[in-house]
Amino acid sequence: MWSREEPDLGAALGREALAYVDTLHNTARYLTGNDADADDLVQETYARALGAADQFTPGTNLKAWLFRILRNTFISLYRRQRNNPIVGGLDTVDPFAQGPADEKWLRDDIELDRLRNIVAEEIEKAMMRLSEEARAVILLDLEGLTEVEVAHVLGCAVGTVKSRLARARAALRQQLGDYAR
Amino acid sequence: MDCQDVRSQLLDYQRGRLEPKLRRDVRAHLETCGACAHTEEAEQAMTELLERRLPQHPASLALKRRLAAQWPSRPLKKDSWWNRWGRSVAPAFAVAVALLVAIPLFYERAPVRQANGTAIMVAEAVNDHLRLLASQHPLEVESGGIHQVKPWFTGRLDFAPVVSFVGDQEFLLQGGAIGYFLDRKAAVFVFKRRLHTISLLVFRGEGLPWPSRRLEPIGGIQAYPTAVRGFNVVLWRAGELGYALVSDVDSRELLTLADKLSESP
Repeated sequence: MWSREEPDLGAALGREALAYVDTLHNTARYLTGNDADADDLVQETYARALGAADQFTPGTNLKAWLFRILRNTFISLYRRQRNNPIVGGLDTVDPFAQGPADEKWLRDDIELDRLRNIVAEEIEKAMMRLSEEARAVILLDLEGLTEVEVAHVLGCAVGTVKSRLARARAALRQQLGDYAR
Repeated sequence: MDCQDVRSQLLDYQRGRLEPKLRRDVRAHLETCGACAHTEEAEQAMTELLERRLPQHPASLALKRRLAAQWPSRPLKKDSWWNRWGRSVAPAFAVAVALLVAIPLFYERAPVRQANGTAIMVAEAVNDHLRLLASQHPLEVESGGIHQVKPWFTGRLDFAPVVSFVGDQEFLLQGGAIGYFLDRKAAVFVFKRRLHTISLLVFRGEGLPWPSRRLEPIGGIQAYPTAVRGFNVVLWRAGELGYALVSDVDSRELLTLADKLSESP
């Protein structure tokens, strides 16, 4: 492990940071939609992390810190290039107020079995049909980040993470329903 | 607690993030409310689907090399005794203590986890075979022989499927297609045995819960033969690749094909 006092902070941090390159690339791939942009995004993320190594607080979650840089880099480099609706209502509707109607196509065990048998390719297509904000919150949750860490990465309140995640998963379920029928 | 309160807590409930009192309240509600219990099951199914099947896109070796070159390496320097030994020994000691506690628990539960993992792999192989049978156009490349089928996969997969058996009169190679095995792409080779279809899935083998028990030596491999839902399945690993053979043909015939496939080129 390294500490802030070490003069070769960047090197020590870099060794730990490089352990997360696969998971960062995976998220970058889902944000950008292609390998070339994902490679560029990850490379720029590491360049910025290296430049800001002294701003990292030892003892906090390095993975979450890198995800935050990746996310901010994505926004500054890619999102402005697109006319992407992004949040698109994820924060504007209470996901839990909609009740059972939200699960229209998962009413019985047969439909649940269909969900379980959806193939990987279809899940990826369904993911890519979601807004970038929805993809991000689902992926960060899958990575095992806590709600507090996800909130830090996304720059929003913890309560907002909970509602965004619920909305994003509901949207994904609806998309997957198209493939499961 | 009403249904709306419970549903807002379901993900935290499944991830074990709730305080004990709240957790008990949610559990009590789920035991009496069929609609919420079904929603909880749907959330769990969604989580498992994403964890097991969402395709992963790891960084390429080239990118890893570029990044490694980008970060400066740690310069050598004289260190204190504590820096040289204490910092490595103390965490190691802590890990050793943790392992002493954890290992008995792990081994107590490991066979169950392994059996579940193997069952998932077998079920996936059968489901892939059924999808192939149900497809109106199962073959993306018709076979004029193995040397026509194998090159077709080039550029469509991030690995080269190693299959040396070219088919014979007993097991005719029909063609191939791209499929998925859980979270990764697979090369699908289709053989015919009389009127029966046999699917051979070839995929990257790392990170999967491969069976370690009830293995049988077949040719040069250790294979796991089993049967589920009326289909015979044989799983094995060779190098970095994994293989799954599925069909409704007799198990001995399937093992014969596994034997032919396992032979070195």
